[in-house]
Amino acid sequence: MFIPSLVNGITMGSIYALMALGLSLVYGILRILDVANAGAYTLGAYVGVTVFRLTGSWWIALVAGAAVAASLGFILQRFFYVPILASGPIIPLIASIGVFTALEEAYRLIFGPYIIEFPARVPLPDIHVAGVPVRGVQLLIILVAVVVLVGTWYVLGHTRMGLAWRATAQDAEVAQAMGIDARRVTGWNFLLGYALAAVAGVLVSINYDAVYPTMGDMPAYKMLAIIVLGGLGNPLGTIAASLLIGLVETFVAAYVGFLLPRDSIAFVALIIILLVRPQGIFTRGAVAK
Amino acid sequence: MTYFLVVGVTVAVFAILALSLNIIAGYAGQPHLGQAAFFGLGAYTAAILSTRYGVSFWLDLPAALIVAGLVGVILGVISLRLARDFLAITTIGINFVMVAIFQYVPFFGGAMGIPAIPSPAIAGHEFGYRDFFVTAVVLVIMVAALSAYLERTWFGAALKAIKDDEQAAAAVGIQVASYKIAAFVLGTALAGLAGGFYAHFMSVVTPNGFGFPVSVSILSMLVFGGLGTIRGALAGAVLLGIMPEVFRFISNYRLLVYGFLLLFMVRFQPQGIVGEDSWLVHQIGRLAGSLRTGGARRDTAGG
Amino acid sequence: MTLLEVDRLTVRFRGLTAVDGVSLAVAEGEFVAIIGPNGAGKTTLFNVIAGSLRPSAGEIRFAGRPVAGLGAARMSQLGVGRTFQVARPFGSLTVRENVRLAAGRHYLANPLAAWGRRGRDREVEARVAHLLAVTGLVGLADRRAADLNMGGLRRLEIARALALEPRLLLLDEPAAGLGVDGIRPLAELIRSLRSQHLTVLLVEHHVGFALSLCDRVVVLDQGKKIFEGTPEAVRRDERVITAYLGESGAGEGAMSGGD
Repeated sequence: MFIPSLVNGITMGSIYALMALGLSLVYGILRILDVANAGAYTLGAYVGVTVFRLTGSWWIALVAGAAVAASLGFILQRFFYVPILASGPIIPLIASIGVFTALEEAYRLIFGPYIIEFPARVPLPDIHVAGVPVRGVQLLIILVAVVVLVGTWYVLGHTRMGLAWRATAQDAEVAQAMGIDARRVTGWNFLLGYALAAVAGVLVSINYDAVYPTMGDMPAYKMLAIIVLGGLGNPLGTIAASLLIGLVETFVAAYVGFLLPRDSIAFVALIIILLVRPQGIFTRGAVAK
Repeated sequence: MTYFLVVGVTVAVFAILALSLNIIAGYAGQPHLGQAAFFGLGAYTAAILSTRYGVSFWLDLPAALIVAGLVGVILGVISLRLARDFLAITTIGINFVMVAIFQYVPFFGGAMGIPAIPSPAIAGHEFGYRDFFVTAVVLVIMVAALSAYLERTWFGAALKAIKDDEQAAAAVGIQVASYKIAAFVLGTALAGLAGGFYAHFMSVVTPNGFGFPVSVSILSMLVFGGLGTIRGALAGAVLLGIMPEVFRFISNYRLLVYGFLLLFMVRFQPQGIVGEDSWLVHQIGRLAGSLRTGGARRDTAGG
Repeated sequence: MTLLEVDRLTVRFRGLTAVDGVSLAVAEGEFVAIIGPNGAGKTTLFNVIAGSLRPSAGEIRFAGRPVAGLGAARMSQLGVGRTFQVARPFGSLTVRENVRLAAGRHYLANPLAAWGRRGRDREVEARVAHLLAVTGLVGLADRRAADLNMGGLRRLEIARALALEPRLLLLDEPAAGLGVDGIRPLAELIRSLRSQHLTVLLVEHHVGFALSLCDRVVVLDQGKKIFEGTPEAVRRDERVITAYLGESGAGEGAMSGGD
C-alpha cells in the first residue's frame, strides 16, 4: 500500500504544483487571489479534448489548451484586474469569482453538462515500480511537472525576466523606478500562470479520461489553501506545499482514514498550521503584523 | 401569492446576512468569505434544539444567535493572528470544513440533514407563509436599525478607524484586538439569527445550503450594493436576490448573466450600486440638490 | 517632577541593535527634542515610548509606573499622545470625526462600553471645536480626511494627538515633507503648545527646526546617546558635529541652518 500511495501522492502533488504555481505567481505580483485561474484549468481541458479529436495528437492538444488559456489570462488582467487593483483585495476577488462562474456556465452551455471522454494515449509506457503498476499518464504528469517547475525555477532565478519578476513582487514601485516595466511583467505573469493551469487541466483530464464543466470547482479553492501554506507569493514554497498536500491527502486517506472528506484535508491542515505559524510554513520573515 | 412570499422571505434572510457581513467586512474591513458557515451554525442549532429537545422557535432563535456568536469569537481570535489575505483564505477554509462537519459527523444528520423542523406558533396558531414573511421583515428592520445605531456610536466609528488604519486607531486609544473580536462576534451572531429563522422556514436543513457558494453570494450582494453601507446591503440583497426570479425566462443563462453582471459591476462601479461615492448616489444627490429651494445644500442620500 | 523616564533601553532587530542602552528623562512641562542623523535609532526609540514596539531590554516609566510593552492603545489611554511621521488619518471619516475619536478616547477603551452615541458629550464636542479652530481646520471639518492636502494632514495629526489631552505629546518628525512655507506656521503652532506648558518629546531630522523649539536636546548616533544638553551647547559639541558630518557634507549646514 505504501508504494501506490507514494506514486499517487506524487502525481497529485505534481498536478497541484502546476496549478498552484500559476496562482502563486499572480499573487506575487498583483496581490490578488485569482479564483478564475481554475477556469483556465477547465478551459485547457476542453480546448485540449477538442483539438485532440481533430488532430489525434495529445501534445498538440496540450499546446493548444495552454495557448488559449494564456490568452484568456492576458485579456483578464489587462481589461479587468489591473484597472480595479486600487479598490482593495476584496473587489478583484469578487471579479475573479464572477469570471469563474461565467466561465463554468459557458463551458456547460457550449459543451453540455455531462462528462466528455479524453481517450488520448501518451507515448510513455506503463511501468512497474517495486511491483506496483505506474501508468504512463502518471509518469507524464510527473515528468511535465518536473520540467515545468525546474524551468520556472531557472527563469525566476537566472534570467532578466525572472529578476524583473522578483523585483516587482518585492516592491512594485521601486522596481518601476528602476526601469522595470510592471505592465509587461504582469502580462507575462498571467500568460504563464494560465498556461500552467491549462497544462494541468489537460493532463488531469487525460489521466481520469474525463472533462466536465465543474472540474475546476475543488481546485479553485484548494489551490488557495496551498498557496497560503506555501507562503503567499513564494513559488518554491508553493511547490513544496503542493507536494506535501498531495502526499498527506493520499496517505491520510490510505492509512489513517479521516472523518472528513479527502478534499477538506488541505483546509484542515491550513487552519491548524496557520494557528501554529501564522505566516505559513515556507515563509521567510514575518508577513502577519 | 405564496410564490412572492417565499421569494420575499428568502430575500429578507439574505438581507440580514448581508447586513451581518457588513459589520465585519464593511465597517471593520475584515475579509470574511465564510459567513455561510455561521448561517449554517445558526440553522443547525435551531434544527437540533427544536427537533430533538422540543425547544420552541422563540427560544432556539436566541440560542442560534449565541452559538454562532460564540464560534465567531474563535474566528475573531484567529483574525488577530493573520494578515489580511491569509485571513480571507482561512475563512474560506472554515466554510469548507464546517460543511464537511455537517455532512460527515452523524450528530448533524449527514448528507440528508435534519428534516421535520416544526413551524413556529403563537398562541396555538401555526405560522403560515404570511407570518414568516412578516417576521422576516421585522427581523430585517431590527438588524438594519441596529446597524444604523451602530454607525452613530463610538463603537461604529472605532471599527471604521480600524479599517482605515490600525496603528492610528491604537494611537487614539482603541484596543484594536478586542474591537475586531467584537465585530466578528456581532456579525456572526446575526448570521446565526438568520440561520435559526431560515431553518424553521425551510423545515429542513442540509449541508449544501450553507456551502462556500452561499458565502460568495452574501459577499457579492454586499459588494454589489455597496460595501460599508446599510442601503448597499439591502439593495444588494434585493437586487441579486430577485434577479434569478426575474431572469427565470432565460433560466439556462442565469448564472452566466450573474457572473458577467458581477464582473462588470465591480469593474466599472467598485463602490457598489448605491455605495459611498457611487454614480447613482451622486445623481440622486444632484437631483435632490436641484429640487431643494435655492439648492443651498448639496447632499448625498442619507444613511 | 519627572514624567517620562527611559532607563537603559535597548532594541534589537535580528542582530541589529537599533537603540543601544539609551537613558533619558523628561520633566513635566519640558520640551525635549531627540535629533540625530539617519539611522540613529530616533524613530525606533520613539515607537518604543509610544508603545508600538517592545524593547529588548531596559525600562520605561511614565508618571512613575513601568509601561514598557503595554501597547499603543494603553499608552494612549494613559495619556501619551502621538503623531505619525507620515500622516495616518482615518481616511474614510471626516476631519471632525478624526478629532472626535481622539477627544472621546475614554469612550473607546473597551468595546463593550462603546455603545453610546457620538456627538452627545458637550465637553468632548467643545474640545473638538476648539482644536479644529486652533489648528485652522474648521473650514475642512466635514471633508473626508483622505481629501486633505499635506499641510492639512499634518495639522490633523496634531489636532488628533492634542484631542487626547495628553500629559505627554510625542511628535514624530512633524516637519517631514513640508516646505519652508509649511514649516513656519507649524513651528508657530508647536510654540503655542509650549506656552500651554504641555510636555513634549519631539523627534526631528530637521535640526534647526528642533533646536528653535526645545529646552533640551538629546542626540542619538548609531543607537547610542552621544549628547544631552541645551540647544546652545549642542551647536558647539564636537562629537555631534562629527556625527552629522559623517553622514553627509551638508552636516554643517544642517547644524547651523533652519530657523
